[in-house]
Amino acid sequence: MGAYDQWPGGQGIVEGGEIPYKPEALAQKKANAAKRMVVNVTSDDHRHDTGDPELKCYMPGVPRANYMPFPFQIVQGPDRILMAYEYARSLRTIYMQANEKSIPQKSPADTWMGWSHGHFEGDTLVIDSTGFVPYTWFDRAGDYHSDALHVVERYTQVSPYHIMYEATIEDPNVFTRPWKMSFPLYRRMEKNIQLVDFNCTEFVLDLVYGQYSKYPKK
Amino acid sequence: MSNRNWIQSAALGVVLAAGLLAPSFAAAQTPSSTSAKAAATGSGAKSRTPSAATAKTSAIPRTADGHPDLHGYYNFLTVTPVQRPAKYGNREFLTPQETKEVFQKGLQSAFEPRDGDEEHYGNELFNPNSVDYDPTTFGLSPWQNGIKPNPRTSLVVDPPDGKIPPLTAEAKAAKAHTVAPAAAESVDLAGSRAGTAVEGQSYVADDHNGGGVVHADVPLDLGYGTTCVSPGGGPPIFPGEYNADMYIMQTASDVVIQGVNGFRVIPIDGRPGLPASFREWHGNGVGHWEGDTLVVETTNFHPGNTFRGANPKTLKITERFTRISPETIEYKFTVDDPSTWTKPWSVILPLSAENGPLFEFACTEDDYDAVNILAGARAFEKKAKDKANEKAGVPISQK
Repeated sequence: MGAYDQWPGGQGIVEGGEIPYKPEALAQKKANAAKRMVVNVTSDDHRHDTGDPELKCYMPGVPRANYMPFPFQIVQGPDRILMAYEYARSLRTIYMQANEKSIPQKSPADTWMGWSHGHFEGDTLVIDSTGFVPYTWFDRAGDYHSDALHVVERYTQVSPYHIMYEATIEDPNVFTRPWKMSFPLYRRMEKNIQLVDFNCTEFVLDLVYGQYSKYPKK
Repeated sequence: MSNRNWIQSAALGVVLAAGLLAPSFAAAQTPSSTSAKAAATGSGAKSRTPSAATAKTSAIPRTADGHPDLHGYYNFLTVTPVQRPAKYGNREFLTPQETKEVFQKGLQSAFEPRDGDEEHYGNELFNPNSVDYDPTTFGLSPWQNGIKPNPRTSLVVDPPDGKIPPLTAEAKAAKAHTVAPAAAESVDLAGSRAGTAVEGQSYVADDHNGGGVVHADVPLDLGYGTTCVSPGGGPPIFPGEYNADMYIMQTASDVVIQGVNGFRVIPIDGRPGLPASFREWHGNGVGHWEGDTLVVETTNFHPGNTFRGANPKTLKITERFTRISPETIEYKFTVDDPSTWTKPWSVILPLSAENGPLFEFACTEDDYDAVNILAGARAFEKKAKDKANEKAGVPISQK
């Protein structure tokens, strides 16, 4: 694919430059990276063993959804904030303090996009998320987490056109300490901007299920 | 990672409903031909909206910008038949006693095997052939699910006879080409619901809808729903046997309609819709307020993913949301596709308030069906091939 398949360089968004893995967890990260394009979707417990979930058009999880190159829309409602992502039509519901009495504190079921509660500290929106399945990655380099993942995000609008964003990742099963990423979120200023479909499931059917078809490739 | 993109949300003036105001109108359960007002729904069909004389505008909970507050969780499960059973003629409403009986009978039928019993008041929602779809295998029984009685004789309210209009000649011709009975000639289905394969043939199974056979050669043979390419989500909002839960949220600039199977974000501040070249899986909707009714008009539908197989190029669905009590939104949708139906037709479906939350629906991520159906078909084919080889004295393949 020549230069079509390449990505721009960048200085990275992880503060300190390194993700602090426990030694055994680092081995898993490396195994993930080595097999990120090995897709073997079964109907048993090994279904998620290999392959970047992004490659399969699975929901990207938190905070990966915020730094993928697809627009997303934040809609502030009376008792919650919805975050609607173009990628795979993923949706996050951020329950705000006003509604906490009727919404469980902990997730009733594991989720790909987390179970989130939010509140404002001054002008910063703070979102606390748990209840994750262990199947999403942070990037295409195999960086991953367990179901103990706990993410705290801070969104601070610093101009009409951008928000400074940071996320603290905590997962005692995988990391030796919490670690942080930060970057700006730039507002999309196109006229009449709205989300459009990115329904990648259709494009990956052969990749994901091809081994079971009557005409398998490879 | 280079660009991060972020879109402006609703205006930063966060709307906050100043608590729910106690309504002064009763949620009428009995039809009243003299007080019902058709204005909000815009057709001959009688609305449940109280007349202007009885409804004080202050009784409807409103957001800070003065519009009715549609926010909340709703259930739209129903046992009301889609089309009006012939015995009701042009009657739009049941008596209170009939309402109770239809509701009880409908709930009871959810527990019973359907076995081809078509007389569930002609209820297409509960497919009489669908003996495998016991709702309790997927979740709660209907009676646990917040289903409410509905005093209407049918969901279809226009045309006035409560029946979906006939298909156009063009649509009938298109339907005739989608059935592929040829494969059935060489395979003896013998009523087996588990499907069959004959040596050298592909696995096929009865489609249980009188349409012929379905294949499972390649993933898309399973359809957009089972492969999770588009697991439903409308428009329109239309009930099946389960997952009839939704959430509505409005701001000054957008209304969000979230179903189990997907969400729509619809601009209501005058922004235009997408150009005609965009064909979206849920169409592209644009909304506006007409008095106390939120109107959403949707076009730009995606081929192969339209309501009842309508033509995506010519289909337009108009939805109207009118809050008629703290517990109920009257939801009316009009299907307008001149190349499929000889005239437009409309449905009124009550949305009944319920408690949240909605759980996440991870379709693609947890799609075991696609793996199991395809792998099962391959197993059938191998078994047929091995059987034929055994007869011919050929060693059974290990692959």
